[in-house]
Amino acid sequence: MKKLFSSRTLVSIIVAFIVIVSLIAGSSWWAKRTNTPPFLQRFGNDLAGGVSRIISVPTTAVGRTANSISNLLDTFEENKELKSKVDEFAQDKVHLQTVEEENKSLKQQLKLKATLTDYKTVSAVTISRSPTTWQSQLVIDKGSNSGLKKGMPVLAGAGIIGRISEVNTTNSKVALISDTSSDANRFAIKIKGDDGDVNGIVTSFNREKNQLIMGQVTSNNKISKGDLVETSGLGGVIPAGLYVGKVASVTDDDYGLSKKIYIEPAADLGNITTVMVAISQIGAN
Amino acid sequence: MAFWQLTKLRVIYPVLLFLILFVDGTLMSSMGGLFTQFPWHILPTLTLGWLFLGVQFDVEKELPLWFYVVVVGVLFDMYYTGIFGTYTFAFIAAVAVMKQLRHILDERVLSGLFMYLIGLLIYLVISYVSGFVTGIANVSLTSFLLYEVLPTIVLNLTIAVVSYYPVWSFFQFLR
Repeated sequence: MKKLFSSRTLVSIIVAFIVIVSLIAGSSWWAKRTNTPPFLQRFGNDLAGGVSRIISVPTTAVGRTANSISNLLDTFEENKELKSKVDEFAQDKVHLQTVEEENKSLKQQLKLKATLTDYKTVSAVTISRSPTTWQSQLVIDKGSNSGLKKGMPVLAGAGIIGRISEVNTTNSKVALISDTSSDANRFAIKIKGDDGDVNGIVTSFNREKNQLIMGQVTSNNKISKGDLVETSGLGGVIPAGLYVGKVASVTDDDYGLSKKIYIEPAADLGNITTVMVAISQIGAN
Repeated sequence: MAFWQLTKLRVIYPVLLFLILFVDGTLMSSMGGLFTQFPWHILPTLTLGWLFLGVQFDVEKELPLWFYVVVVGVLFDMYYTGIFGTYTFAFIAAVAVMKQLRHILDERVLSGLFMYLIGLLIYLVISYVSGFVTGIANVSLTSFLLYEVLPTIVLNLTIAVVSYYPVWSFFQFLR
């Protein structure tokens, strides 16, 4: 009988396997440590981003048309619902403007500079998205040229969608919150409960439920379904007051010592055409 | 090199391969609403499809296919994940298996599609396993098979079926 593998092939397969596993583990460790990738990788990514930008013109057009057609189907129902909300928002907006004015003048009186809630935004367009099993990342068309840095939060539509995971000169990558790598979704959040705030961090994402998980919560404050979740600003890089989502359910963790809170993210992680990067103003002036 | 040589398969094939690499990403982003609608996670793998067509129509007679497979794998890793190794290995393994299968199977369309199916499975399984190496895996095998592998295979086999004959005649024309 012919042997399936000669001993030489077997040895080379094993060597190749070891090389590949160490390459994957090594580069993932390296990517976590550094703020910007090595020059060659950055140069290659900038070049690839340029090509991608050209290709994305027709495909984005096709995608947008498909989306608008599917949106058209439930426009009527949506319109009815939205109309009822508009009046409410107008009132909120006026209120917000007054409070903002008041806040500004009070800050001036106190001679406060930037606080946790002060941030400016840089808007960017999505040019690509990794067609991969893990590490769902977006490539956006702004990079270190526009002042972006690794770790900054990225918003789209209703709320936060992820963080900048790699900055090249003219483009950068956004790791989505649906990705359980530690640089994507470990940010400090705050739940506005009935009897006070509950602070904590996002500990993981449950892809099978499409929900964020805030683990190891020991606070006794009551948290109920539908409570709003926002960033707390603790840690410094991410400003306070960015909308994250709503509480979906509260369970005890495996040992019954602390609570595990499931959060329905506000942003739609599917359709992301434009994003905003929030740059905290603390330390900027 | 005279101009007419630029229209040869050995030039056109790799150029299209690199363009298709980026088409995958832009498709994923523009059709993201559809492809990643909860609970689905469908991947366009046109790059692998193009490599499959290259293997099936035997482009290796005219160009260094292995070299391009490695380059595309490295580019894919660099641009889409920033972590080297996973997709380089996935592309190499999928192409290696498809090439072995081609020796065993005949040249009919169905045999070709079966070959692509196996290649795709290997590609997806390697990407799934690599998630455990880097500790970022958060999906069980069942939902991976049901919501990612199954629809991905359906989508990409359909694309392969549709493009099979046009690409075949295109290659004939370029040869």
